[in-house]
Amino acid sequence: MATEESERFDQVDWNDLSRSGRFDLSINSLGMLLTTLPLALLGVYDWQFTGRRTPTFEFIGLDRGLETIDFFFIFTLLLAFWYLVVPLYQNPRMTRYYWKEFKRNRPAVVSLGWLAIVFVGGLFGPLIMDPPQQELLIAYQPPVFTSVVDTTPATCVGEVVSGQCQGTWQHPLGTTQGGKDVFTMIVYGMTISMQIAFITTTIVAVIGVTFGTLSAYAGGWVDEVMMRFVDIILSFPTFLMFLLILYIYGGGLGMFIVVFSLFAWGGMARYVRSKSLSISEEEFIKASRISGASTYQVIRGHVVPNAASSIITNLTLLIPGFLLFEAQLAFLGIGDSAVPSWGQLISAGRSDLSFAPWIVLAPGIVLFLTILAFNFLGDALLDALNPEAEAENA
Amino acid sequence: MGFGRYLSARVLWAGVVSLIIVTVTFLMLAAAPNPAVRQAATQAALQGGDPAAAAERARELRGLNEPLHVRYFDFIQSVYTLDWGWSVSRSQPVMEAVTQALYYTAQYSIPWTILTIILGPLVGVYSAANMYSWKDHAATGFAFFGYAIPNFFFGIILLLVFGVWLEWIPITYNTGVPVFSVENAIQLAIPVFVLVTGSIGAVMRVSRNESAEFQNADFMKTAKAKGVSPLRAYAYHVMRPTLVPLSTTLVGQLLALFLGASLLVEVVFAIPGLGRLTYEALIAQDTNLVLGTTLFFTFVAVIGNLIEDLVFTVLDPRISYDDR
Repeated sequence: MATEESERFDQVDWNDLSRSGRFDLSINSLGMLLTTLPLALLGVYDWQFTGRRTPTFEFIGLDRGLETIDFFFIFTLLLAFWYLVVPLYQNPRMTRYYWKEFKRNRPAVVSLGWLAIVFVGGLFGPLIMDPPQQELLIAYQPPVFTSVVDTTPATCVGEVVSGQCQGTWQHPLGTTQGGKDVFTMIVYGMTISMQIAFITTTIVAVIGVTFGTLSAYAGGWVDEVMMRFVDIILSFPTFLMFLLILYIYGGGLGMFIVVFSLFAWGGMARYVRSKSLSISEEEFIKASRISGASTYQVIRGHVVPNAASSIITNLTLLIPGFLLFEAQLAFLGIGDSAVPSWGQLISAGRSDLSFAPWIVLAPGIVLFLTILAFNFLGDALLDALNPEAEAENA
Repeated sequence: MGFGRYLSARVLWAGVVSLIIVTVTFLMLAAAPNPAVRQAATQAALQGGDPAAAAERARELRGLNEPLHVRYFDFIQSVYTLDWGWSVSRSQPVMEAVTQALYYTAQYSIPWTILTIILGPLVGVYSAANMYSWKDHAATGFAFFGYAIPNFFFGIILLLVFGVWLEWIPITYNTGVPVFSVENAIQLAIPVFVLVTGSIGAVMRVSRNESAEFQNADFMKTAKAKGVSPLRAYAYHVMRPTLVPLSTTLVGQLLALFLGASLLVEVVFAIPGLGRLTYEALIAQDTNLVLGTTLFFTFVAVIGNLIEDLVFTVLDPRISYDDR
């Protein structure tokens, strides 16, 4: 195969390598730039030229708006595409190896499938489905294949068989006390969860990696001060501080994402620092230094790729915590009640639990499965990406 | 560096961390408009008075016109002398409200912590001893289940099943029963169970993976060859080295859970403990009480981290004090 040919040492195109200075862009960075540019332009347009309440796409007759958080979400999606998906395509040999290792863990494959559903649902669901509408007449419809006593729903959409209202495919997971379709609300909640997952992990990765490498390369007292700072970040009770921030300033999903990601990168920074310290002792780093590689090139070309597997695993295992915190805050009703997250739905259905348990059960189980899937995925990635962690299963 | 110096340096550091957190809290409060002042202004406007004058009076009353550094030192002083002010919504000193709530929180946290600390490593080592058998898979499944299911959701479901449908447990928490009574045990059983399933998973996983390393160690082979009973061999040669790495993660994880989950579980089960106190203070806009409860949790976290580090160094003689 062509790709395996070029991996051979004697056929490396040294001209190509030595040409790559700081200003030569790789295809990934080029793609990233080309796709970010329209997004940035759209962002500026939305910020400067449309009114506060005018939807972004009114100029082409679409009644849909993009919030600030949507712009960041799309940006992180582009990042993930150009620096995670495309490199996997560029290195088919490694991709096949990872996939072979990953496949051995069957729960993780199922988890990946589930997360793919949540991802696609969160990305495209709100585009093709109308937002859930308040319709008091059809409140408390049971999910499909189940039935409740006829007196529970205001009017039964499905058939009434011997005093039991049957669920219908019109509302596969039933409706809430306001007659909103539970399935639609769950799909809208997927968007929120994916936004939290992507944006927080991006912020955590950027700050953690930058801080960790800077600290390792600065050394001396700078390193010491920076690591003490990490200690403080790590021992900060984020959940309580966020309660205080909510209490003093109020805030929505954006505030949640910013606060929680600003206090979650401590472990990542510590790890990247120790990794870059240990790797800078390696022979190949000395070799590339002698060949004139700058510190930036060493970090970008050797330290980050070598730490990448653990960084990705670490990030995967951080996400469930964020999702849980969001659900908890939404459940307590002290978050932004306009955000249609799963926790919000659980909290809304709590008072009707005894006779309409599906309102709580459906989003709760989806939340449970998603958290479980991220945990399985993180475990499997640990084994697949990092051969040194093999001891865990020995 | 000797142990004495390490100890004092670590305690000093804990003090610094708590001071930083208190300072951040103060700065956040100082930068935001005070709800009490706003309230006074609104009230004056409603009663036909001058809102600006009323706001000024309210600021005067709370000493908000003092320069920032004076207020800061006042704040620090009252925080560390445990003079945490008056709770408007509960009409009692904040300190008193916190200690009263702590009484109820302790009733379920103590059994929860003890159960997690005892059962977690036991089940973990047991499943490592029977690795890849159905018992191990069942334990792993349970660990993942407990880890992934949101505590508050699990609590609601159990309350629905056992409280509403089966009517085995009371739906509302009764504060009137004595601490050591059957009624109290029954009404606390489900909250404790929910919290234990949430926290035990991580402990089980860590102790399983750590003890797997010692299963086939040379000293285990020697012990077996000498004819040491399996129970004794596991208790003395596997459990003990497992507990060392476990202790580093245990306290931190329990604390993280304590801070987040106790709030949710207390709200779900209507236990009038610290978490519920925090929640009600937030709802009632009672600034002093919000501050008091969050600072209390913060101090618990700082002290917990301190104890964890100290226990770790005492337990594991291989750690040099210079490293940290």
